[in-house]
Amino acid sequence: MGISEAIYKRGKTAGVFPSLSTRRDEAYMDFIESARNLLLHAQQEPIGEYSKLLLKNAGKSMEPDPKSTAEAIELLMKDNILKTYYRIKRTLQESFWECTYSSLHMRKNDLLRALDDAEKIGPGSVAYDLDFSIPEYATAEIHIQPGGNVNDPLSGLLYDYGSKVFMGGAADNDMFADMQASKVATPQDNKVHRILDLGCSAGVTTSALKRIYPDAEVWGIDISAHMVRYAHARALGQNLDINFKQMLAEELDFENNHFDIVVANLLFHEVPVSISRKILSETLRVLRPGGSFTLIDFSGDKSRDVYTMFFGAMDAADNGEPFLPGFVRSNVEEIMEARGFEMHPYDPDKFILAERIGFKPNH
Amino acid sequence: MTDKKLNDLDGLENLPGFKRGNPTYFENEVIDHLISITLELGAELWVVKDRLAHVEEVLSEHNKLSLDSLSTGKPSALLQEQLDLERTQIIKRIYGRLYSKYGGDVAEEKSAI
Repeated sequence: MGISEAIYKRGKTAGVFPSLSTRRDEAYMDFIESARNLLLHAQQEPIGEYSKLLLKNAGKSMEPDPKSTAEAIELLMKDNILKTYYRIKRTLQESFWECTYSSLHMRKNDLLRALDDAEKIGPGSVAYDLDFSIPEYATAEIHIQPGGNVNDPLSGLLYDYGSKVFMGGAADNDMFADMQASKVATPQDNKVHRILDLGCSAGVTTSALKRIYPDAEVWGIDISAHMVRYAHARALGQNLDINFKQMLAEELDFENNHFDIVVANLLFHEVPVSISRKILSETLRVLRPGGSFTLIDFSGDKSRDVYTMFFGAMDAADNGEPFLPGFVRSNVEEIMEARGFEMHPYDPDKFILAERIGFKPNH
Repeated sequence: MTDKKLNDLDGLENLPGFKRGNPTYFENEVIDHLISITLELGAELWVVKDRLAHVEEVLSEHNKLSLDSLSTGKPSALLQEQLDLERTQIIKRIYGRLYSKYGGDVAEEKSAI
């Protein structure tokens, strides 16, 4: 049995994701995904309006400062409708991980063997060190994924399938990754030979970048060996020539001025702000003059009101995002500018996914 | 602004969802459980409906679907054993959480005597 058959034993679902181990599990997850779409995503706007009305009627400040946010949390979490919403959100989150975990671990040995086999073949490559020293911050169970990103050998597969359900169809056929990659800025001289994707996880954005720039040398790095192992196998399944390597984004093992494009898609809200600063310094170091850096992530608090701060705090708690509030308050575009990037105009109103684009100065 | 300030969790650690496991959002945790139960029941109901539809499709493709046999026949001994096991697991998973506070959710099945 080849790599593709082992991982995609029951074929693919939504075009790119490995099917779960049984039809029963897929039916269960279909329900979870539909329930999330109907009971959570579809509710965001009306429940937002409802929440703002509660805040207004109580005479609360709409300023996004920490004091007002704390007051909003205290007030809104006394409301039974909101409690129900967040109860449902948490239950669905726990249910989908429980099912994904048990379903994939049902054939754990086969899947690990398939990842081992994939390492030996190309296109592309993967490099990692099982003795790699993992910083404590990276052991958080982000998204409440069992084992987090670093402590389960199937974390890449778990994350990939979890993303499919979490995104409620938006990630099917790699649509979301292609959309994100299309936002990535080209260098000022349009010359693209080498691309680096920071915190690549399952390598989905990395692969989308390779599709846009098929002749470029593309690298994806991640703190987790389990992630880069799966990222390589996934890219292999799409016949994409990409180099994946386990590496800290804050300690890049690349020469100065090496890359034309560096990308960080939804990485920065997963690390402490002190690490963000180091990543930005390293990014600037490995970018060549005129090269571009695209950081796609949530907006900062300067473009928010107290309700979006409340919503972010609740999401951070229910979705296991301990570093999200710090990231939001950091207004990372200002740190980028202070680090020396020449900033492209930034649209702070893109609340969920705002791209900050900076270029390394030519002088 | 210092990193300490920037890493402020905005009271995150005080929110129910910050805790791992099964946090509670209501003062009466039974309400939390009942909501989770209805969601789990919905998921299991859908699994059954999906399965039934699949069974009917497969049987009809092989011209072996007989409504009479579905109504009057019996599952094989092996299938019956699997169904018995699955039924117990479903009951534990759906309703066990009501007793999780004192560990009753992991109690094994037991007859009256």
